[in-house]
Amino acid sequence: MRRLGGGLTLLALVLGAGACRGGGGAGGTEQGQTIAMMPKNKGNPYFASCRTGAEEAAKELKARLLWDGPTETDPAKQNEVVEAWITRGVDVIAVSVENKEAISTVLRKARSRGIKVITWDADTEPDARDYFVNQATPRGIAETLAGHAARLLGGKGEFAVITASLTAANQNEWLRQIRLVLAERYPEMKLVDVRPSDDDRKRAFEETQTLLKVHPQVKVVMAICSPAVPGASEAVKQSGRTDVHVTGLGLPNDARPYLKDGVLDSAVLWNTKDLGYLTVYTAHAVASGALKPGVSSLPAGRLGAVKVEGDQVILGTPFTFTKDNVDQFHF
Amino acid sequence: MTYERGLALCLVLEIALFASIGWNFFTAGNAGEIVRASAEIGLLALALTPVIVTGGIDLSVGSLLGLCAVVLGVTWRDAGWPITVAAAAAVVAGVVGGGLNALLVARLGIPPLIVTLGTYSLFRGVAEGVTAGVRNYSDFPESFLFLGQGRIGVVPSQLVVLVAAAIGFWLIVHRMAVGRMLRAIGFSPDGARYAGLPVGRRLGSVYLLSGMCAGVAALLYVARLGQAKADAGTGFELMAITAVILGGTSIFGGRGSVGGTLLGLATLAVLQNGLRLADLPAELAGVVTAALLLAALGANRVLQGRSRK
Amino acid sequence: MSLITTHRRELSVAAAYGVLLVALILFAPAFYQGANLRDVLVGAAPVLVAAVGMTLVILARQIDISIGSQFAICAVVAGMLAKAGLAMPIAAAGALAAGASLGALNGVLVAGFGLPAIVVTLATMVGLREALRWATEGVWVQDLPPGFQWMGFGQDVGRFAIPGLALVVWALVAWGMRHLAAGRAVYATGSDAEVARLTGVRPRRVVFGVFVVMGALTGLAALLSAIQFIDVQTNSGVGFELRVIAAVVVGGTSIAGGKGSLVGSLLGVLLLATAGPALTFLGSQAYWDRALQGVIILVAVAADAFGSATRLKARP
Repeated sequence: MRRLGGGLTLLALVLGAGACRGGGGAGGTEQGQTIAMMPKNKGNPYFASCRTGAEEAAKELKARLLWDGPTETDPAKQNEVVEAWITRGVDVIAVSVENKEAISTVLRKARSRGIKVITWDADTEPDARDYFVNQATPRGIAETLAGHAARLLGGKGEFAVITASLTAANQNEWLRQIRLVLAERYPEMKLVDVRPSDDDRKRAFEETQTLLKVHPQVKVVMAICSPAVPGASEAVKQSGRTDVHVTGLGLPNDARPYLKDGVLDSAVLWNTKDLGYLTVYTAHAVASGALKPGVSSLPAGRLGAVKVEGDQVILGTPFTFTKDNVDQFHF
Repeated sequence: MTYERGLALCLVLEIALFASIGWNFFTAGNAGEIVRASAEIGLLALALTPVIVTGGIDLSVGSLLGLCAVVLGVTWRDAGWPITVAAAAAVVAGVVGGGLNALLVARLGIPPLIVTLGTYSLFRGVAEGVTAGVRNYSDFPESFLFLGQGRIGVVPSQLVVLVAAAIGFWLIVHRMAVGRMLRAIGFSPDGARYAGLPVGRRLGSVYLLSGMCAGVAALLYVARLGQAKADAGTGFELMAITAVILGGTSIFGGRGSVGGTLLGLATLAVLQNGLRLADLPAELAGVVTAALLLAALGANRVLQGRSRK
Repeated sequence: MSLITTHRRELSVAAAYGVLLVALILFAPAFYQGANLRDVLVGAAPVLVAAVGMTLVILARQIDISIGSQFAICAVVAGMLAKAGLAMPIAAAGALAAGASLGALNGVLVAGFGLPAIVVTLATMVGLREALRWATEGVWVQDLPPGFQWMGFGQDVGRFAIPGLALVVWALVAWGMRHLAAGRAVYATGSDAEVARLTGVRPRRVVFGVFVVMGALTGLAALLSAIQFIDVQTNSGVGFELRVIAAVVVGGTSIAGGKGSLVGSLLGVLLLATAGPALTFLGSQAYWDRALQGVIILVAVAADAFGSATRLKARP
C-alpha cells in the first residue's frame, strides 16, 4: 500500500510538470507552426523519399514537422494517429489517405477543432479537408498506365496486373479507373488477371512467373505498386521472354537497372521528394492563411509558383521514367 | 508484491512519464480516445484470457473480426436487412467461426495453435473472397455509428460494452466453478479428465465465446471507423495476445486473471497513444512492447520462484 | 510396426499431394512444363531450409515465430556486406552468422532463463521488425555489385544450385536426426525433458542449440532468397514464419514435441509451395487463395485427427 501511495505522489508530481507543457496550447509556439504529416504506412521507400523533401521544406520554413503513421496494415491505424494529433494540438494535419471513407470522419473532427487539414498523395472526401496536393488523380494514373500498355500492345491483346494487397484502397481505385479507360478507349485490350503481391517483391516475382505460364499470350505486365515493379521485371528477365514487357508505377531507383536491360519499358511516377516538399509548403500556407479560396498560385520555395485549381494544389502530371531519362533522378 | 500490483505500478509510472513528456496527454478527452482505440482489442483480449488459461490459443480472432465486419456489410447493404438484424448476423458469424475452432480443438483434439493458424487464413480468406478484396461497405446509419463514435455523458459508448464484457469474464474466470475448471484443464488436461470434468465441452465453450467476442468487436470496429472491409482487424490477434500475456496469464495455462489482462491492455494502449503525443515514432512502440513482454516474463518467473520457496 | 502405422502421417500428406498432382495432370497439364517445376522448386527452397530448422524446434517442443523478422535482418546484412565491397562468401557467412546470433538470443532467453518460447519469439518478432523499420525506413539496399545476384554463378547455375543446396541441407539434417546422438537428443528432449535429462541428455543445451540452428538456417534461407535478385528489399519475410510453421505441421510434426520427421516437413513444404501456383493454373481467382490455403491446412490436420480418433474408439 505504501508503494502505491508513493506511486501516486510521483504521479501527482510529474503531472504538475506535464500540465505546464500541456497548457502551452496548440502547437509549438516558439518554433513556428507544427505540421503533422502522415504517410499511408511507414517502412516504405516511396514515403521515405517523400519525407526527405518534406524535411527540406520544413527547415526552410522553420516549421516543426511531425512525421508518423501506421506500421501495421490495419485501416484503423491512420484514424488513431489523427486522433492523437487532435489531442496533441497541431496547426495543420497533412494525410496521405489509405481509406477515404474511414478517415473522413476524424478529419472533419480535426477541422471542427480549428486544425487545418490537407491531403496529399491520395485524397479523401472533399469536405473533409481544405486542400489536396494533387500529384496525380486516379483517372490520370489510369490513363497514363493504360496508354503505355496500349502502346506496347499496339492497342490489342492481353495484359495482367500485379497489385499491392487485394484490399489496398488506392490500387483498387486505380484498377477501377483502368477498367473504365479500357472500356472507353481500348476495347480490344483485355485485362486477364490481377494478382496480389502484398507489397513484397518476392511475392510479385513469383506471381509474375506463374502468370506468364498460365497466360502465355500476356505480353504486358502492369505492376501498380512500387515493390512489384522490380519483382515483375526480374521475373520477366529470368524467364528469358523478350516478347513480354513490364510497365508500372515505381521508384526510379528500383526501376533503373531494368529500364536499362529493356525488360521494363517505363515506370510512371512523380517526383516524390517534390511531393513532400510541396505538401509542407501547402500546409504552411493554409495554416498561415496565405492559401485560401480564390488564390490561384502558391509560391513554393525552389519549385517556384505552383498552380492552384480550386481546392487542389497541382504538382504536375505523372512523369514517365524511361531508360533515357532515369539517370537524372535519384529517389 | 503480486504481479498485478507491480504491473499497476508500471502503468502509473508510464502515465506519469507520458503526462510529463506528452502534449495534453493527461486529459479526460485523451483518456476517452485511449479507450476508443483499444476497445476492440480489449474485447478480444478478454475473450482470449480464458482460452489461454486452458493452455490454448486463438490466432484467428483478428481474421474473424474481419469476416464478421464483412458479414455485417453484406447483410445490411447487399441483402438489405435492418442494421440490428445485420449486427446480430455478424455476431452469429462470429459464433459459427468460433464453433469451427471449438469443433476442431475440442472434438477432434487438434492442437489449438494449428487449428487457429488454419482458420486465421480461412476466415480472412473468406472475407476477401466474398468481397473480392475490393468491396468496402460504408454509410452506415448514424444510430449504429453511435456505438463506435458516440458518448454517453463523458463516457465513450464502447466503454460500456468493454466494462460489461470485463465483468462477465471476471465472473466466469474468477467467481464461477467453471473458472476453476478452466484452470484445472490448463494445469493438466488429463488430470481434469480423470477428475470427471467435461473437458471437451468446456474447451469448446471458450472458443465459442472467443468467436462471439470477435463478432461484437467487429461491430465496435465498423461503428468506430464507419467502414467494413476484408482487411479489418489485421494483426489484432497479436496485440490481444500480447495484452493477455503482459497481464500475467501464463501461456502454458492454469494461471491468469481478467484484471491482469485489463492492466496489460491499458499498458499497451497508453504506450501507443503516449508515444504519439510525445512526438516519438510509432516503431518505438513495437520495440518497447517487446522489452515489456520479456520483462513481464522475467518478473513473473522471479515472483513464482519466490512463492514456491 | 508396419510402415503404414509408423509413417501414417507422412503417407496421408503424400496422398493429399498426390491428389493435387493428379488434379493438375487432368485439369492443368501446363503446370508440368519444366520451367514451372523449376520455378516452384526455386521458390520453395528458402521455405524448405527454414522448415528444416523449424522441424527441429518443434520436435524439441519449442516454437519460433520470430523467423520472419530474422529473415529480413539477415537479407539486409548480406546486402550491406556485399555493398561494402566484401566478397560474396563473406557476405553469405555474415547472413548466417547474423541469423545464428539472433537465434542464440532466443535460445538464451528460452533455455537460459526458462521463458516460454512462444512469448519470447513473439517479443523478438515484433521488436526486431520494428527496430529494422526504424533503422532503414524501408529503403532498399541497392547498387549492389553484379556478383550479388546468383552469387556470381549466373542464372543457369543459380537456379539449380538454390534448390539443390536446400535439398542437401535437408538430407544432411534428416540423416543426422536418425543417426547422430544429437538428433536423438532433440527427439528425447521434446518427448520428455526430464526423462531425457536422466538418460544423460542436457535438454537446455539441446533447446539452445535448436534455436541457434533455426537462426542460422533462417540466415541461409534469407540468403537463398535474396540472391535471386539484384538488390535487397528491407521489409521482406512478413508472414514467413506462418508459411514455415504451416508446412511443418501439415507435414505431421506434432506441436507437442517429440513426434515428426523431416520427410513429412519436405512433403508439407512441397504441398504448400505447389498449392499456390496450382490454384492459379486451375483458374482460381486470387481473392479466394487465402481461404483455400486455410482449407488445405485444416483438411490436412483434421483428416489425420479424424483418423486417429476413430482408431482410438476402435481400440478395445
